[in-house]
Amino acid sequence: MVALEDLKQEAKNVLEGGTVKYIIGYKKPAVGFMAVPAFFHKPEDLDALVWDPTCVHNLVLFLKDEKKKKLGQKEPDERPVGIVVKGCDSRAVNVLLQENYIDRENVYILGVSCGKTGMVDLKKVRKYFKGKIISQIDFNENESFTVTTTEGKVEVPAADIFAVRCTECITASPVIHDVLLGGDSVRTPENPFGSLEEMESKSQGQKWDFWQEQLTKCIRCYACRSICPMCYCDECVVDTINFAVYPDTPAEEKAQKIKWVEKSPTTSENFIYHMVRAIHLAGRCVDCAECERACPMDIPLRFLNKKLEKESKKLFDYDVGYDTEIPSLISSFRDEDPEDFIR
Amino acid sequence: MEKILTKKALPQWLIKLNAYQIYAPVKKENHWSYEALDKPESIRLDHLNTIQSPKMIIFPQREVFFEFHNAEGNTLVMKEPASESSATVIFGVRPCDAAGVTHQDKVFDGHFKDLYYWKRRNQTILVGLACNTPPSPHCFCLSVGGSPHSTAGFDILMTELEDSYYVESFSKKGDTLISLAGDIFSTPKENDKKDKEKAHSDSEKKLKRHIKDLETVPPKLKDMFDSPLWEEESLSCIQCGICTYLCPTCHCFDINDEKDSSSPLSGKRVRTWDNCQFPDFTMHSSGHNPRPDRASRLRQRIMHKFNYFVTNYKAYQCTGCGRCIDKCPVGIDIIEVLEKVRDYGK
Repeated sequence: MVALEDLKQEAKNVLEGGTVKYIIGYKKPAVGFMAVPAFFHKPEDLDALVWDPTCVHNLVLFLKDEKKKKLGQKEPDERPVGIVVKGCDSRAVNVLLQENYIDRENVYILGVSCGKTGMVDLKKVRKYFKGKIISQIDFNENESFTVTTTEGKVEVPAADIFAVRCTECITASPVIHDVLLGGDSVRTPENPFGSLEEMESKSQGQKWDFWQEQLTKCIRCYACRSICPMCYCDECVVDTINFAVYPDTPAEEKAQKIKWVEKSPTTSENFIYHMVRAIHLAGRCVDCAECERACPMDIPLRFLNKKLEKESKKLFDYDVGYDTEIPSLISSFRDEDPEDFIR
Repeated sequence: MEKILTKKALPQWLIKLNAYQIYAPVKKENHWSYEALDKPESIRLDHLNTIQSPKMIIFPQREVFFEFHNAEGNTLVMKEPASESSATVIFGVRPCDAAGVTHQDKVFDGHFKDLYYWKRRNQTILVGLACNTPPSPHCFCLSVGGSPHSTAGFDILMTELEDSYYVESFSKKGDTLISLAGDIFSTPKENDKKDKEKAHSDSEKKLKRHIKDLETVPPKLKDMFDSPLWEEESLSCIQCGICTYLCPTCHCFDINDEKDSSSPLSGKRVRTWDNCQFPDFTMHSSGHNPRPDRASRLRQRIMHKFNYFVTNYKAYQCTGCGRCIDKCPVGIDIIEVLEKVRDYGK
C-alpha cells in the first residue's frame, strides 16, 4: 500500500531539487470526495496532494497539453514533468513512448501501486451509499475500502463499489516508473475479458438494438475523445474544420476538405464517430476506461475498446503498453499474422 | 388559480391531457432523463436533476430547417419539413430549468425573433415541481437570483405536500390544463397554504452550496480579460462540450448544409448546438483562431454568463442547476472559479 507521506516526500524532492518543472497529481475537490487532477508548481502546494481510490483520472492525458504548449514556446523548459501514474496509466505512457509522441526524458514517473484493489466507480458508490454524504474513501490492506460518511466509517468489500476495469486488471502497479511506491502488485484475474461475455452471447440483432439505443443517446460532447490520452491527433475527423489551415492555404484546398462526420447527433453519424474512435484505439487502448467515466450520457463505451483489446490479443497475441520497442499493432504486420489477405 | 391534487390522482390528470404530447422525468439505471411519457400511471416526481434540462425539447440539439434537392431542369427545390404541431406539456420541471428557459427566451426574442424557437416555445407548457430537497448536491440557485420554488417561466408550479400537491397556475395555458380535469382538483384549505409556504421556506435552508457577493463579480470581470487566472483555472480542462451542452442556458448553434447526395444534389439545412469550449468554435477560415487555448475558452464561458449576459439582459446566464459541476470529468467547479474571480487581487 502506498503511504501518502512517501509519495508527497518523493514529489517534494524532485520539485524542490528542480528535477521536474511541475507535478501532475491529484487533490481533493472544493466539495465532494472524488479526487480531481491538480498541477503542483511549488513544493509547498504539495501538501494538498492526495492518493486514494478516488484518483480515477488517467493523468497521462495532460502530457498532450504539455507537448502542445512546448511546441509553441521559443525556448521551452526542457526539464521533465512529474506525473503520478497508476498501473493502467503507466501503460498509456508506454504507448505514447512507443509511438514516439513523447520521449522518455520528458516525464518523471511517480508510480503508485493500486495494491489489492483499485479505483472506485462513482456510480456504484452513489448507489451503495444512496443519499449519504461521503467525505473520504481509503485503501485497505485487504480487498476492501474504508468509506467515511457523516455517519462514520464503514468497510466495504471492493467488489461492491469497484470499477469493472479494475476487476479485470493485470497490472495494478506501474510497468514503467522513476520511483515506485507501494511495491509491485501482480494480479491474475480469472477472466480478464469477463465483462464482455454477456454482450458476446447476444444475437446480432440484439447487439444492433442495444448499440442503436446506446449511441442514439450520444450528444457528441466529445468528452470520450478529449479525455483519452491516446486521442492526440492535431486534426480529428469529427472536427468541422481543418486545423491544418494557414493564411496561405488556398481556398480550393479548404473547400476540398472531406466531411467525414456531420455535426448532427443522429444515430448514423454517432455510429460513425464511435466506430472511428474505437478502431483508432485498437492495440492502443490501455483500459483506463476514462471515456466511459467521462460520458455524461452513460454510454458503455469501455465495451467497444475492451472488445478490440480482446481481438488484438486473440488474433495477434498483442498486449498493449508493455513493450515500447515493438512496432504498434495498427502500423505493422508480421508474417505469422493469421490473416493472409495482407501479404 | 390555486388547487390541491392528491398524489394518487396525478395519473388521472395526465390521462385527461391526452391531447398533449407529455414529457416527464424517467428513471434510467444511473440517471434521470426527460422522455415522452407513454403511460400516465408510470409518472414519478421524485426525480433528481435530469441529465439534460428541458432545453433539449424546446431547443433541440438538431433541427432541420428545410430539405433541398435538384429537380429536373436544374431547378433547386426546397421544402420545409412537416411541422410537429402538437402542444407539449413538460412535467416536473425544476425551477432552475424553467429559469433557463426564460433566459433562452431573452436571447431568441431579441432584435431577430427566432421563428423556429418560438414555434416550439409557444406550444410548450411548463409544469414545475418545487424542490423540497435539492435534486443535486451542487444546487446553488439561491446565489444566482433563483430559488427552489421560483415561479419564473412556469405555467404551473406544483409543491409536494404530504399526500398531495399544491398546484398553482400562473397562465391561461396552465388554467386550461387544470380545467381539463377540474373535478379531481379540490380547493386548498388554509393549512394547505401554510404547509406549502413552510415547504418553500424549508427548502431554501437545505441548499448546500452558495456564492457570496456574486454581485461583485460582473463589474470585476470587466477588467479581468487578460488575467492569468484563466490559465490557472483551466489547466485541467479537456475542452469537451459537457458543461455547455448540459447547461440549461447555453444557446449557441451552428447551421450546416448536410448533403445526402452530391449528384443529383440533395440534402438538408440543419441547425445543431455548438459549443464555445470546442477549439473549432472560433476558428477562422484564414487559420487564425482568436480563442486559441483552454484559458481563453474558459474565460469566454465565465464572461458570457457573468459579464456580457448581465450587461445585455440584466441577469446571470446561470441558474444554479449544478450540472456543469456534477458532470465535469476533471472536476472544474464554476462556483470555485467565481469565488476566485471575486477574491482575485484581494
